Amino acid sequence: MTENIPIWRIKYLPKSLDEVCGRSKVKNRLKEYIKSENFPHLLLLGSEGIGKKTIAKLFCQEFLGSFYEPNFKIVYADVPLTSEERAKARSEAHYSTSKIGRLAGKTITTPAFIHVKIKPFVSIKAMGDVPFKILIVKNFETLGSNQQGFRRLMESFGSNCRMILISHNTSGIIDPIKSRCQLIMVPPVDIEEFKIMIATIAKNENLTIDNETIEHLYKITKGKIAKAIDLLQITSISDNNVKIDNLYENSMVFQNNLIRSLLLMTFKGQFHKARELSRKIQSNYKYSVQDLFLLLYNELSKLPLSTYSLSLLINMIADADFRAIDGRDSDIQISSLLSKLCYYSEFL
Amino acid sequence: MSESVLNKMPWVEKYRPKSMSEMALPSAKLKGHKIELAEELRKFIKTFFREKRAINQKNQSIKSFNRLHGEKEQKKLFKLSQDRVAILLEGPPGVGKTSIVYALANDLNLDVIETNASDVRTKKSLESKLTETVKTRGIMDYLTQSKDKIILIDEIDGLYGVADKGAVPTILTIIDTTQFPIIMCSNEYKQSLQPLYNKIHKLEINPLSSDETLRIIKQILKKEKITNVQEGIINSIIEKNHGDLRGMINDLQGISQGSIGKLNSELINSLHRDSTEEIFMVIRDLFEEVSTLKQAKVLTNKSDVDYNFLYKWVNENIPSFIKLNSELVVAYENLSIADQIFGRIQKNQYWSTLPYFYDLFAGGVTLAQKSKRDNHGFKKVSFPRYRSTGMFSLTANERLVVEKINKKYEISEIEAIQDFLPFLRVLSGTSRKQLKLVSDWLELDATEKKILKSDSEK
Ligand SMILES: Nc1ncnc2c1ncn2[C@@H]1O[C@H](COP(=O)(O)OP(=O)(O)O)[C@@H](O)[C@H]1O
Ligand SMILES: [Mg+2]
Repeated sequence: MTENIPIWRIKYLPKSLDEVCGRSKVKNRLKEYIKSENFPHLLLLGSEGIGKKTIAKLFCQEFLGSFYEPNFKIVYADVPLTSEERAKARSEAHYSTSKIGRLAGKTITTPAFIHVKIKPFVSIKAMGDVPFKILIVKNFETLGSNQQGFRRLMESFGSNCRMILISHNTSGIIDPIKSRCQLIMVPPVDIEEFKIMIATIAKNENLTIDNETIEHLYKITKGKIAKAIDLLQITSISDNNVKIDNLYENSMVFQNNLIRSLLLMTFKGQFHKARELSRKIQSNYKYSVQDLFLLLYNELSKLPLSTYSLSLLINMIADADFRAIDGRDSDIQISSLLSKLCYYSEFL
Repeated sequence: MSESVLNKMPWVEKYRPKSMSEMALPSAKLKGHKIELAEELRKFIKTFFREKRAINQKNQSIKSFNRLHGEKEQKKLFKLSQDRVAILLEGPPGVGKTSIVYALANDLNLDVIETNASDVRTKKSLESKLTETVKTRGIMDYLTQSKDKIILIDEIDGLYGVADKGAVPTILTIIDTTQFPIIMCSNEYKQSLQPLYNKIHKLEINPLSSDETLRIIKQILKKEKITNVQEGIINSIIEKNHGDLRGMINDLQGISQGSIGKLNSELINSLHRDSTEEIFMVIRDLFEEVSTLKQAKVLTNKSDVDYNFLYKWVNENIPSFIKLNSELVVAYENLSIADQIFGRIQKNQYWSTLPYFYDLFAGGVTLAQKSKRDNHGFKKVSFPRYRSTGMFSLTANERLVVEKINKKYEISEIEAIQDFLPFLRVLSGTSRKQLKLVSDWLELDATEKKILKSDSEK
């Protein structure tokens, strides 16, 4: 490695499919596709942070070879359009030119997301010596009803552009899309492969880390590779000898302990402070209301509470989440939830 | 004006500067460079009239040419560039934004046509008030040789429709058609005004310095023949108002016209105001005076504060007035349902449910106070500053940083903000060396680098 990259998760990013740790079944399947120079639309499924995107990207690189750049695009379905993009979509909505029939004189609008981010790429012809171009859509399930728009696109532009859709689960994906794709489950890296990978990094960085500590690292990070490497790097800064205790200490920094402080504040009944903190968390991390409720919910489940109390509190969060969908001002619904937590936690 | 009228006037109006010579001049910046505010504005107005006159003349002959020629040969009319037509003054309240426009107009012998957030509430009325006035010089103007005018669009950030961009296109059209220069004032940066910022110059006005304000305050005290206000009190007034001269003058009037015996700093600190005086009063009355649903209804009906705003103000201020958690929970239950109802009204046009909305957010909230109200001590009413956009959007700096990261490491904006940047902050927080390594490798410049400093500094 000539360039010294100061961020390990990037430094140790695999450069080819072969370098991806574990997951040999998936890799072999993909290599078959490369050999046969063909593959159907794919739907990659697997839990968060285990490397679906990394694998998919490397696959595309190897499949498209030197024509990778112009024929590849990755789109994140959960990132909303900017206001300029929305304006563009609006301004390009066009009138139907047909003079008779149902569409006569109507404005035809494709969903803005598809119009701006998908259509232009899939409709332009593939360049160079490749069978087709490839589009990756990450977090596909978050598209909701916009998924419908992909049905036609996958058919009419399928021969020009294959899609690799990535999602955490199948339940959020509409049936017609599933039926157009080959489903591939990407499992988390298994512990043995994980050990080899961490040991390699440790050797390269002159760290000592024992077997047991690596196992803990795996457990804490639930097999999310980038997270594990982040944690390893932070822990190694204070001591080249990586120990379990230090690992735990540092992992607390990453966990959203802001969310925990928020909960604890409400348990102490400090409404005003809690609201200030929740606003700060939201604006710093750009969490949506739904994100925030979900984080609170996850954090709550980690606390040592009786089943009864827990279900009561979860009920409150669910209720607030539900009301926020109806309401106009999510800050009110968040404040309302916090006030409930402040008050009712006195009785738990 | 008769003596008695003058005596009843609020001092801020009585002593509103009539000429530039009576003003304390705040310092100001244009694109980060210090400028002479008065000079800049004078230049802006004069140049406008000069260039407009020249262009009008040219257009006159083009128009006569066009009348005589076919469609193909039509020539285009000249137009002044937008930044020569309009200018924006941005600065905190009470530093003299509005005053400077009137003072200048007076000095240059111009009339001011003003619209501000309190008189123009809809896009329609904005149009009807300005569009016609600005387009043509009315026949009467020619006949009476009336004065030239300045258009003042004051408090543009509070203008109805600004939040949803409705007002901005209207203003842009006005800029394109006006025969008079336009000066706009605003308290703060507004995302939705971006299309304007792109096209016109923004003069950023700083709070007034203590020396300058002291000078004005002393003049006023002298004119009012008041001699018994101690230096210390004046200083504390100056200090607490952070360069807001309007605030200082109001405080001054408050203490000088109250019973002088009680003059102490506690009293001064209990005086509080904001440009949105009315809404403050409504909120205060709502929480402190109202004791039945009916009273609450009368109060909210009477005030012409938009209920759209009012219920957000209620949300912001509940914790100042209601301290018991048992009461907070009731107040918020009602407000939360009110919000839900409001949402459904907006979505499905269930207007018949509007009365519930009113009752719940006003009476329902304030009457949650069961315990004896603690009306002692001054409670601060605050402006609903926090606004959740409900949408993921990045600040300009964040966007730049995410782009830089993406040159080296493929990652979505959301992952960058919620996952990767927090890690980089922890990493760069371990030592200066790490900070340098990370920011050098990502090729961040000094401003972008700030994003790596820890949360607490934000
Ligand atoms: N720079 C100033 N010089 C003199 N008086 C000022 C100045 N700034 C504010 N004032 C006083 O405060 C009052 C309100 O000022 P105004 O121009 O309306 O502030 P803004 O428009 O910036 O909120 C004026 O009537 C005047 O009495
Ligand atoms: Mg003003």
